Amino acid sequence: MTQLRIVGGTVYDPANDIDGDVRDICIDAGRVVESLPSTAPRIDARGMIVMAGGVDIHSHVASGAVNVARRLLPEAHALDPAIAPALVDTDIIPRSGVGGTVPSTFTTGYRYAGLGYTTVFDAAVAPLMARLAHGQLDDTPIVDGGFFALLGNDDFLFAQIDAGERERAREYAAWLLGATGAYAIKVVNPGGVELWKRGSRERTELDTPIGSSRVTPRAILETLVDASVALDLPHATHIHCNNLGLPGNAVTTLATMRALDGRRAHFTHLQFHSYTAAPDGRWRSGAREVIEYVNTHPSITADVGQVMFGAAATLTADAPVEYLLHKSSGRKWANVDIELETGCGVVPHEYRERAAVAALQWAIGLELFLLSADPWRVVLSTDHPNGGSFMSYPRLIRLLMDHAYRDEQIRRVDPRLLAGSALMDGLDREYTYREIAIVTRAGPARLLGLRDKGHLSVGADGDVTVYAPGDDPARTFGSPRFVVKGGTVVVEEGELRRAPVGRRLHVHPPFDRAVTQQIRAHFDSYATVRFDNFAVGEPRDAPCPLATAASSTGAR
Amino acid sequence: MSPTTLTANATCLGCGCACDDIDVVVDGGRIVEVRNACTLGAAWFADGRVPARCLVDDQDAPLEDALTRAAERLFAARRVLVYLAPGLGCEAQRAGAAIADLLRGVLDSVTTDTALDLVLASQERGFAAATLGEIRNRADVVVFWAADVDRRYPRFTTRYAPIPVGMHLKAGRTSRTVIAVDVGRATAPADADRRIAIDPADEVATLIALQAIVAAPAGERQTFAQREDRAWAHARDLVTTLLGGKYVALVYDAEPDERVPRSSSRFEALIGLAQSLNAATRCAAVALRAGGNRSGADAMVTAQTGYPIAVDFARGAPRYRPYDGSASACLTRREVDAALILGDASSIPASVADAISSVRHVVIGPRASIAPTGRVAVAIDTGVPGIHSDGTALRTDDVPLPLRPSLSGPPSTASLVAHLAKALLSLARADRRATRDDTTRGRA
Repeated sequence: MTQLRIVGGTVYDPANDIDGDVRDICIDAGRVVESLPSTAPRIDARGMIVMAGGVDIHSHVASGAVNVARRLLPEAHALDPAIAPALVDTDIIPRSGVGGTVPSTFTTGYRYAGLGYTTVFDAAVAPLMARLAHGQLDDTPIVDGGFFALLGNDDFLFAQIDAGERERAREYAAWLLGATGAYAIKVVNPGGVELWKRGSRERTELDTPIGSSRVTPRAILETLVDASVALDLPHATHIHCNNLGLPGNAVTTLATMRALDGRRAHFTHLQFHSYTAAPDGRWRSGAREVIEYVNTHPSITADVGQVMFGAAATLTADAPVEYLLHKSSGRKWANVDIELETGCGVVPHEYRERAAVAALQWAIGLELFLLSADPWRVVLSTDHPNGGSFMSYPRLIRLLMDHAYRDEQIRRVDPRLLAGSALMDGLDREYTYREIAIVTRAGPARLLGLRDKGHLSVGADGDVTVYAPGDDPARTFGSPRFVVKGGTVVVEEGELRRAPVGRRLHVHPPFDRAVTQQIRAHFDSYATVRFDNFAVGEPRDAPCPLATAASSTGAR
Repeated sequence: MSPTTLTANATCLGCGCACDDIDVVVDGGRIVEVRNACTLGAAWFADGRVPARCLVDDQDAPLEDALTRAAERLFAARRVLVYLAPGLGCEAQRAGAAIADLLRGVLDSVTTDTALDLVLASQERGFAAATLGEIRNRADVVVFWAADVDRRYPRFTTRYAPIPVGMHLKAGRTSRTVIAVDVGRATAPADADRRIAIDPADEVATLIALQAIVAAPAGERQTFAQREDRAWAHARDLVTTLLGGKYVALVYDAEPDERVPRSSSRFEALIGLAQSLNAATRCAAVALRAGGNRSGADAMVTAQTGYPIAVDFARGAPRYRPYDGSASACLTRREVDAALILGDASSIPASVADAISSVRHVVIGPRASIAPTGRVAVAIDTGVPGIHSDGTALRTDDVPLPLRPSLSGPPSTASLVAHLAKALLSLARADRRATRDDTTRGRA
């Protein structure tokens, strides 16, 4: 591992209260160090912006569902062939691939790195499909990666809740995370996917019984949110609320936040859950109410799930949503019900400026960003590829940083479609570099409990991005001049030159072994995969530390 | 004599069901018992003995030499086909795709010659599907649509449906209604509550009529009673049971069956019926694939290239050529002048094997030394994934399963393909350096 001194850059390291100071960053053996001999290799970053590598808290890049989407979209791939990068690595085959809304594996890794991102999480992997996710992450170079395991519609979990055995449910969650090599607990439309499998087409509210009056979305959420805390997981339970995409769902979202009041919980792609309904049933923005609640409740964290105009692919474990989208848009639809665990749906989509719902969704995302009081708790995502590709992050950053550009974009949307949106009140906030550094790396890393990421303290991972500032933030953030991953210079003068293997980020919380007897019995009764064939085995990299270990060190 | 060993919960790749509850008993260096396996599984495991030779131009050669010669032959070719035969773990499939990419060749698999119509229909329409455990736990109506599972997927009925007890079907078989749809001579399983015989000529029309009735508002469905032809009669016959189900499983065979005409419109009609039933109830279609991890090839190639089959790297990035770029088409048109066959060459459809014989090729896989494709330049025997080597395979529903070796044997295909890929990379680097040196000299 080589030494590297990044010289004279303007550093934004908000975790250390460094806000545009000119200084050197030294990296040795993959980590940030205090200093290096003067002979160490250098990158001249004078006049450039230096930040830690980007951290994506919520994306879809490696799962069974992602591959269903890849399979469904040959036409999108044909529009965006991606030739292999000219790597200087001598022992790696540079791989070609395809882009589009759901890029192929290698291209995903190259393109994330090409944007200065060095850590990515897939936010929704069915435990049964964990082996597939690991295989895809193995083929997603450069970035450190991991995934969240879907637990919100799990039959074994429901049985424990029904029996009042919440401790056993927690032990089950602990076992499952270790068995699948996952990083965090994910809840998608708690109970609602199970109801879809049972044929229901109704909305799922917090106290809707899921086959039993004791099993409700509220009980599922409480159980899993408490489990993450009790197990000291580095990331809070990652929640995709009920009724995604439906008018009036802000009521559900707020009720969920209240139900979990005071507990550490992460609410994902908040934009898709912030709609009110006018008396005539039409969609309205509920962003103001939702973000005000978030602003005043410090235990809640969120990512936005911004919608960007253009092509997208909606893919989610929230299968009933995809059915509705298929029926309303007429686009092709894939659904896969996944035994005992969850669902999966995929529908290609286009967000058009002239379409009422899309315009409102776009505005609501921006409202959430612009009304957020604490960027550490409300971080950037497009729920790639659901709200738009991760490749649109630079344009999104421009929307946040450049008031004039944003106004110009707003003018392209029919103002009648944005009635009631705070955006029409002339929100003139402009994100600073510091705030961008928070919502794209420092914040997500902190929310994920990644103590060595998102900042540039001594001991931090040597993941650094160097941007050339200019008038257009989309250009600045769209093509970093240098990207360093674990001390290796992967992007040099704007060109991808090296593609090292990324690390697997996963946890292995301890659990009471007695629980495996009940799990085994459940498998014997209803699963089609043997219990002994379920666990993926130890991933290549050691597990990440749990929260108790992480809280004692790391950046402030 | 080595002691008797038992490998429990081995995964069988005899068909796409990929049963993972097989107990394999090994004694004296051979498999002596395979518990829980069906006839296909027993034949797939057999006694586990495979050849372990390396041949270069039909002469025995050391492994290193064979790999070197294989790399040289492939690298010297104008254009290479990499063909993923059945009998590969996912790891070898991924490594094979890398070689096709490096050599700017053509990448194809057995799927093109067996399930192309289903692939294209799925890309056109999507699909309404489920993993097999959902069928087990929820399907109260199971329709076997010309799916001869008794013969071709023998444990389907006992492992998945209709026989097992499910979470929502506590009485197992008796809690389900089984409909057997025979299409011509393609018979569905014997154990059925209802049986309908459809002329192959009426099959697609019947499926479309069913979709029309299902899509109609409930109050208007009787208007179809006036339609007189056979397809409408079949549709009326079936629709009440389908709509009466809480969760309908529509099971069909994606593999070739000489008894049923294949077309993408047939698969689109099957997919369309499964999708449209979801307006009224729940329905999942199950497309059955044959053995040897075929679903794995589709998934691995898709993940790496964006397309499941017939990928052309000639322009430096994947191009999808399902209509004119299959292995057979490229061989017939002489677009390729060498081939790398990975996997069990004896499972390659005869027409493709014939076409492969037209070029000098390398075979790396189980029983490569006795491959039926003539003009083999290099053949390297490997172990069978799931018998001699570990790895991952996908069930017909894309559920990944571990492969557990029960017997020692020749090296794994995955390790040799990785080795070959490295050798090819070295050649490519050296070639690029030489080209660069030439250019530099030319300039000077």
